[in-house]
Amino acid sequence: MKSELSVKQRNNTKIIAKVGVLSAVAAVLMLLEFPLWFAPGFYELDFSEVPVLLGTFALGPAAGVSIEFVKILINFVINGTDTGGIGELANFIVGCSFVIPAGFIYKHKKTFFTAIMGLVAGTLGLTIVGSIINYYLLLPVYSKIYGWPIQAFIDMGNAINPSIINLKTFVMYAVVPFNLLKGLAVSSITLLIYKKISPVLHR
Amino acid sequence: MIKDITVGQYLPGNSVIHRLDPRVKIVGTFAFIINLFIINNFIGYIPIFIFMAAALIISKIPFKYVVNGLKPIMVIIIITAIINVFFTTGKVIYTLGPLSITEEGLRLAGFMIIRLIFLIIGTSVLTLTTSPIALTDGIENLLTPLKKIGVPAHELAMMMTIALRFIPTLLDETDKIMKAQTARGADFESGNIMKRAKSLVPLLVPLFISSFRRADELAMAMEARCYRGGEGRTRMKQLKIEKVDIIAIVFIILLMAISIYSRYIVLF
Repeated sequence: MKSELSVKQRNNTKIIAKVGVLSAVAAVLMLLEFPLWFAPGFYELDFSEVPVLLGTFALGPAAGVSIEFVKILINFVINGTDTGGIGELANFIVGCSFVIPAGFIYKHKKTFFTAIMGLVAGTLGLTIVGSIINYYLLLPVYSKIYGWPIQAFIDMGNAINPSIINLKTFVMYAVVPFNLLKGLAVSSITLLIYKKISPVLHR
Repeated sequence: MIKDITVGQYLPGNSVIHRLDPRVKIVGTFAFIINLFIINNFIGYIPIFIFMAAALIISKIPFKYVVNGLKPIMVIIIITAIINVFFTTGKVIYTLGPLSITEEGLRLAGFMIIRLIFLIIGTSVLTLTTSPIALTDGIENLLTPLKKIGVPAHELAMMMTIALRFIPTLLDETDKIMKAQTARGADFESGNIMKRAKSLVPLLVPLFISSFRRADELAMAMEARCYRGGEGRTRMKQLKIEKVDIIAIVFIILLMAISIYSRYIVLF
């Protein structure tokens, strides 16, 4: 057996420790969530994506996906699930659609401009994938689990925004703005923070 | 405010349910959830109820904790009831202005509420009787077959263990930073979304700096103890399928068979 640790192993240990701690931060932030006024009650905004993005910028897209995965598992282990795992799966896919484009764009050229471009691409990815997942998976499954007819979601949306008349317009006028706002809020905080802590991240 | 958030629901104990292999419990819980969606009439709930009540009694979980687990979902339960009672078409029993209550609506509401309550209680048996660390071990073990397609099972479990270890520390730290920044005039609780998002910056910057310092220290401590990944790593507590686990598996399969059978019983 080799007695000294190779450089690769040492870096691996460092990445594991950093991803672990960032996931803990994400899990803590996931507990502090607040609802939005223009979408039905179960859409809540939280900032757990900020540590995921910071990890992505500092350690690469693969680390970002790991943080996302661990964050969701932790939430499952601590809080349990009220959707039988479907909500968690959707959360993971949507999170990845934010993190992966951002990570790959930033990875090749690490400048402030590519960071912004990455976050814009991530927000677009989040919005597109989020809408698809909501339309085909999340809303149908939620309506099955809770026994709410899809019409009930639409009526709830209609009460807040009268242009919501069917599932497609529900996704367009409630899910899309929600995801855009979430992406925008998370991106702007990430930018504000990243500049300040990047010296520590790259040490 | 942050101190009110309790992390984890685990209640230490030494019952048979507590001692079950975490893998059996995780897979069993998912089987239980699938069961709930197989059932399509009230009769099917009887074996489920007996199974769940038995699990709760054997595990000696105080009833209070079970009820507490239902509290966050209370609003959803009430909305579910209202939607189902008023939006289901069928034989009208009672009319209240523009809304009408139907027989089918009442039945559907009852069915959905029972299912939701069973869903929450069923999954909380898992989190109440299994420590997060045992759950992590179980998840690592269940993910191991996925190593072939490149899922780093050991690394993910190690990250999760680290994260679980640091959550209480970070909650403390968040609380401390919040107080320190409030003393300097920061305001975390008022304003619109954007304002509140911005107010998070003075909280998050110190939080990240200190957590990275901790990660560095931790990595150094791990290296000093010759941590070198999952390959050839031994553990004090090995996961092993025992007699009780096999009995539990048999019960779960039995329950599933009964649930599938109950679909064919037509009562109403």
